[in-house]
Amino acid sequence: MSGVPGMWLRSGAGWDSLRAAWHYLPIAIVLLVWQVVVEFDLVNRAFLPSFGETLSALWEMTRNGEIGFNLLVSLYRAFAGLAIGSIIGVAIGLAMATSRRADEFFGPLVATTYSLPKSSLVPLFILWFGIGDVASIVSVVLACLLPVIVSTYHGVQSVPPVIVWSARAMGTPHHLILWRILLPSSLLSIFTGVRIALGFCFVLTISVEMIAAKTGIGKLIFLYGENGAYAYMFGGLLAIVIVAYAADRTLLAAMNHLLRWDDSIHAAHVGG
Amino acid sequence: MVERADAPYGPIGLAWAGLRHCYPLLLVIVAWELVARGGLVRPLFLPTVTAVLEQFWILLVEGEIVGPLLVSLYRAFAGLMLAVVFGVFIGLLMARSKWAKWALDPLVSFAFPAPKIAFVPIFILWFGIDHLSKILLVAFTCIFPIIVATYHGAVAVSRTVIWSAEAMGTPEGKMLYRIIFPATKPHIFSGVRVTVPVALIIAFTAEMIAGGGGVGAALMFAQRFFQTPTVFVYILIMLATGLIFDRVMLRLRHWLIPWHDEPA
Repeated sequence: MSGVPGMWLRSGAGWDSLRAAWHYLPIAIVLLVWQVVVEFDLVNRAFLPSFGETLSALWEMTRNGEIGFNLLVSLYRAFAGLAIGSIIGVAIGLAMATSRRADEFFGPLVATTYSLPKSSLVPLFILWFGIGDVASIVSVVLACLLPVIVSTYHGVQSVPPVIVWSARAMGTPHHLILWRILLPSSLLSIFTGVRIALGFCFVLTISVEMIAAKTGIGKLIFLYGENGAYAYMFGGLLAIVIVAYAADRTLLAAMNHLLRWDDSIHAAHVGG
Repeated sequence: MVERADAPYGPIGLAWAGLRHCYPLLLVIVAWELVARGGLVRPLFLPTVTAVLEQFWILLVEGEIVGPLLVSLYRAFAGLMLAVVFGVFIGLLMARSKWAKWALDPLVSFAFPAPKIAFVPIFILWFGIDHLSKILLVAFTCIFPIIVATYHGAVAVSRTVIWSAEAMGTPEGKMLYRIIFPATKPHIFSGVRVTVPVALIIAFTAEMIAGGGGVGAALMFAQRFFQTPTVFVYILIMLATGLIFDRVMLRLRHWLIPWHDEPA
């Protein structure tokens, strides 16, 4: 077997950018193949606009504010839902892990609703709240709630009881045990749940917009698809893919920074 | 969710334990029925539980439940199968070949967090609105978790085992099939278990967006005519489907890889 590709790149300040370029080269190759395949009419142009056309459509939509406006609307819905869902989720997960009564109450509800596609509730929410932000945010909250509850619960459960006992022996009051011990020790687990929820919040926002909405990036993509303006459809899609990737990377960076004291963070690097 | 020491004894004890376990669900159902019956909201917004059950029976007799459900399940599991076959292959390839990892790693990590449901219009354009576009969308969504799970499992296979096999002159094909793949099976299974609900969700949601039959399309159709009891019936069908398949996967795990049990 040959050595690691890119091994010939020495480490050092100047070499780092070259190393990054080498790492991302496959993406560039895919984009190039896309362009070439369309340029030489190897595929039907009606079904696949070239990468260049997609980029210029994206640029035009960025300049006339279409992307900016709809992206902001969608991000507002997604992140508002994510924030509300995460806060409630952490609270419920903590309660379940520390109180038997809460566990017995929420446990069956969580287990039952976990595998329900939250998008199936969208028609109801539209009926109840009308088409718009509220229906979107409520469905995002529900979708984000469950992974955060489960990961918080498991995080708190796996805190070594010795630590809690020691704190209790030293007379630490209950709320401080929650705040100073259980929460920080389960932060990695909570973050893992929030990262799953981050993925869900985009999926739900876009699903809701495609099912019924007047604005949002999902609606924009869907409209251009229906009108056959495929370069614009691909442009909108490219925008949301980049935004979702950036959001995931940002959360990962925040997680690494906040948890730099936690040894298990180094073991938990998964998903690229 | 937690094992308790005070296990129930006898039929009364078991019934009591069952009731204790289910009481929050019963509470929700009773509250729902009371709110709907009390006239606090219009039946258009929230039909009574009994009305929903009645509607379930009517739809079941008319064949409006089994047919769409089979369509949705076919799409979800055909897509999942494709994702497992190709995902496991790609994951193993990335674990065994440095060049495959170099070429695929940035693509996988870029595509993993992308909301695949946004590709619905493209898949409609390329593959129409019938089975194929849904199956491929499910496969496209499920393949990334499976690639990642397989890769991490295959990389974690004990070096000594691989070295021993290499020392005995095992060819690469046999190495994959006889050593890496069996050792990776628990990881692959965990990946698949995570993606079963995803496959169902994507199939249902794609049907809601694009139509073309299935439970999701039936749900949207009912909503368009404000048949709220029917909407509830289909939501409960989706809920039950997800629950049943989660149980099935647990059983399957126990059966396929009994040496590697995972808590529920």
